[in-house]
Amino acid sequence: MTASLSLEAMSFRYPGSAAGVAAIDLAVRERELVAVIGPSGCGKSTLIKLIGGFLAPDAGRIGLGGEDVTAAPPARRGLGIVFQSLALFPHLRAWENVAFPLKMRGLGRAERRRAAMEAIERVGLAGLANRRPAQLSGGQQQRVALARALVFKPRALLLDEPLSALDAATRLAMRDEIRRIQQEYGVAALHITHDQEEALSIADRVAVMRAGRIEQIDTPEAIYDRPANRFVAGFVGHANLWDGTVAGSDAVSTAIGTLRTAPQGRAAGARIAVLVRPEHVRIGPGGERDNRFSGAVTRDRFLGAQRRFDFTVAGGTLAGVTATRGAIAAVHVAPEDVTILEPDPTHTN
Amino acid sequence: MAWVTGLFLVYLLLPIVLLVVGSFGEVWTNTLLPSGITGKWYAAVAGDPSFRRAFLTSLWVTAATAASVTLIGVPLAYALHRARSRWARIGGRVLASLPVAVPPLVLAFGFILVFSSDTLPFLGSGWVLVGGLTALTLPYMVQTLAADMRHLDLETLEQAAASLGAGQRQRFLEIVVPALRHSLAAALAVVCAIAIGEFQLVNLVAGFLNRPYPVVLLQAFYGATGFACAATVVLLALALIMSLATAGTRSGIRAIGASGA
Repeated sequence: MTASLSLEAMSFRYPGSAAGVAAIDLAVRERELVAVIGPSGCGKSTLIKLIGGFLAPDAGRIGLGGEDVTAAPPARRGLGIVFQSLALFPHLRAWENVAFPLKMRGLGRAERRRAAMEAIERVGLAGLANRRPAQLSGGQQQRVALARALVFKPRALLLDEPLSALDAATRLAMRDEIRRIQQEYGVAALHITHDQEEALSIADRVAVMRAGRIEQIDTPEAIYDRPANRFVAGFVGHANLWDGTVAGSDAVSTAIGTLRTAPQGRAAGARIAVLVRPEHVRIGPGGERDNRFSGAVTRDRFLGAQRRFDFTVAGGTLAGVTATRGAIAAVHVAPEDVTILEPDPTHTN
Repeated sequence: MAWVTGLFLVYLLLPIVLLVVGSFGEVWTNTLLPSGITGKWYAAVAGDPSFRRAFLTSLWVTAATAASVTLIGVPLAYALHRARSRWARIGGRVLASLPVAVPPLVLAFGFILVFSSDTLPFLGSGWVLVGGLTALTLPYMVQTLAADMRHLDLETLEQAAASLGAGQRQRFLEIVVPALRHSLAAALAVVCAIAIGEFQLVNLVAGFLNRPYPVVLLQAFYGATGFACAATVVLLALALIMSLATAGTRSGIRAIGASGA
């Protein structure tokens, strides 16, 4: 199956600065939702501007539905974009906003009104079609923006941090709505966000960006369980991370001592990073094979269903998560839960 | 705070109230208030050919000024907003605000010099008034629109319109102009108020046959008090009519923007 949206070796640098994106390769298939996450300034928004045609790449190719649109103006790309500020037209009613792209495509008034009303119904706004943007709540405006971006059957949907302006409760509801509506329209979507939980929960695949480059693209589970490097491990989810060296075929040495790992074939002395997810820090003395620690809880945060604690041992701290409430005297980590990663990559740009 | 505001309002409104009272007063000499009620002063103003002519002159000169300020100001503000180079923007701002810094008197003398020459012998024509008032009021229009363009984040609205398939012309006519309707109306109200009341410039460059209302009004104060009051109230009414007309502009633009949606 050909990709709905493809980026090949795309690079761009803002004139007179080092910021931009470099060597971006990314393909989004039909019906697929790919989330792009990364810290601010990593080039996420630049990516949207390049795909939207508001910036021209220095090198590389942008394809939409198999057509090369690298040089096409924004109006010819046929992309549905939901902007961070939503960019609803303040002087037009909700349905008129949604009908705007149809008007630009030359549809008659009756026809575009009918299509706009249908789209407004599909995003769950029936009855509010005649309101102006200022008369709608944040979540409702979000739905109008989505309907406007989808009503003309775009070749792909771009979402530029669309939920960042909403309050927490609305944000949770809207992210499921985005997924539902995207699936209903069967459109390829690229969702830019700085919220890793949002990305993990609704995306088919997640791309993690840093300093203008994609560090890893994979399914949410793979990104979490098998991060490509220390940066990805630290950015996605909670993590205990240490720098270390390989001490043997099943051991690594770190600041908190030598840890037993699953057998691995690295050369002794090689620089590596070590990851232990908090849910793998288990309470109790553990068995003979486990990495066993004694120490004391130095921070304890009760979060309702969960409890996050910092367990200080000789040489460092282990962050853990548990559902139990009692005192914690010892913790252990199974060898297979000690993940060895490449050390932090350093790009030479 | 409230009583300061109240005092200021009284200070502001008292002269206007006195003008209205005076315009209906039969006799008003050396007393606090006039005696007798009459409508004869309004009849006199309406019957005076020079006042009638001045009224109409002010009306069309102000309307023409509003139109020319809109036709020049909207594209100018838009161009300044979109200008990529910082210097182009600063230059444009300075140019657009220059007439505010330059007193109308200086502008008037410049006009007299230029338009009394043999190559441009237009001094005294009504269009010179329109030109002068346009130069004087353009900065208000450009500044008001520029502020609103920043506030609306017009650039993103245009990017959205472009991504939805709108070309440059459609973006300008369907998004930019309608989105700016509130600030356009506000700016036009200021432009009209200045254009109607302006005296320094028009007094110097107006020809005898197209003197605007304020120039003729000055002469009213050499005559009866009641006549002067009535003539001034007419000017206030004129200003009111023009500001109502600008309010009409706003709903007019809205209607145009919505009609084709």
